[in-house]
Amino acid sequence: MLARRGVVKTPFRGRIMPPVSFDYHEPTSVREAVELAARFGADARFLAGGTDLLIQIRRGQLRLRHVVSLHGVPGLDAIEVDGAVTLGARVTHRRLERAPQLGGGLQALIESAQVVGGHQIRNVATVGGNIVNASPAADVVPALLALDAEVTCLGPGGERTRPLDGFATAPGVTACRPDELLTRVRFRPLPPHSATAFLKAGRRRAMEISLVCVAVRLTLDASRERCLEARIALGAVAPTTVRARAAERGLQGQALTAQAAREAGRMAAGEIRPISDVRASARYRTLLVATLVERALARCGERIRRTA
Amino acid sequence: MTTLALSLTINGATHEVVVPPHRTLLDVLRNELGLTGTKENCLEAECGVCTVLLDGVAVNACIVLAAQCRGREVTTIEGLAAGGELHPLQRAFIDRGAVQCGYCIPGVILAAKAYLDEVAAPSADEVREALAGNLCRCTGYQKIVEAILSVTETR
Repeated sequence: MLARRGVVKTPFRGRIMPPVSFDYHEPTSVREAVELAARFGADARFLAGGTDLLIQIRRGQLRLRHVVSLHGVPGLDAIEVDGAVTLGARVTHRRLERAPQLGGGLQALIESAQVVGGHQIRNVATVGGNIVNASPAADVVPALLALDAEVTCLGPGGERTRPLDGFATAPGVTACRPDELLTRVRFRPLPPHSATAFLKAGRRRAMEISLVCVAVRLTLDASRERCLEARIALGAVAPTTVRARAAERGLQGQALTAQAAREAGRMAAGEIRPISDVRASARYRTLLVATLVERALARCGERIRRTA
Repeated sequence: MTTLALSLTINGATHEVVVPPHRTLLDVLRNELGLTGTKENCLEAECGVCTVLLDGVAVNACIVLAAQCRGREVTTIEGLAAGGELHPLQRAFIDRGAVQCGYCIPGVILAAKAYLDEVAAPSADEVREALAGNLCRCTGYQKIVEAILSVTETR
């Protein structure tokens, strides 16, 4: 029964590695968590849902001396709606899916949370983890980008709040420093006549990393015909999640016709440089962007007009 | 190597273990406590064979550190039968022939239990979605879904 003690098998790589252990810390306040991070720097990582971190550790991709669990830190798992919406970093995908406050115009957030992994993953994986893991194929991040979200990090020097747009700088890299803790993400309420939508393409419908995902926020004028403002955010088409700014600008002031939605999709496809990988070719990803942007815009239009 | 003395509540019983912090709940269940009903396979939270309930919520035990389970309730497949009586889901899986090799079944049953605790009368599609994180290589899922639905119908 104990034969494997002392080695960690990595079944998909066929390598046997020595056990990689670490010191485990359970701070009971945000302040204490940040102090630990400041003390250990790059030797430490925060642990929330563990769906990325613990796998990276077991694979030997990440060797840490310290793991700082956020499980016992209060105040990081609240969903607050006071006009603006604030999501604590430890809010799980499960909570997003089931948050009645996030219905209506914020539908894209729920739609993006619903398609991440299976229930076991969504029960533990967090919004903060999705942001700081900085996968180019993150699903919830494009929905938050479409909502012009801001993120707040707490470090030894106090809090820093900045736009989520640009926060991820490369795959797995963000502007959050090792001695900082991402504590919350916040966005303002949507203007009138607004809606959001999220669409994801995968090879199958569940437990799939996005080939491409698209989140759109659309605001129409009072007549619900003309586009006042659009946000188009894309996943899995660049080293980070990105916005399609040319397509956003192109929609401004336009009547939201089928033609305009198609043109926006075409523009979005023109401003990305996706890679070909095991999941899809660059050409297929480009085609998906054109189609999904068009559909997401149409869906937003329907949603705005339905709630007239 | 540092070790942690952990007091874990598993299926209502308290267990004391001393393990290094990197040991997962799955590892401790199987290799320290001999609770081998929880299966081990991908170790990457993809396949669901290690599904257990943590405070009633389905999680993959391969990506939960044992240390994270202090003060929480863990339920494994061994804890589902009460007083020698199989859980209705276990009974239904046997009656409906929903088990072939059986390796995925502990995880499937626990995922189904957590889902039915939340949604009393789901559709077949909803049951399939609830099992998205549980891979079965034998059955094609049809009899699994039938077995789960049969429990909801008899409630």
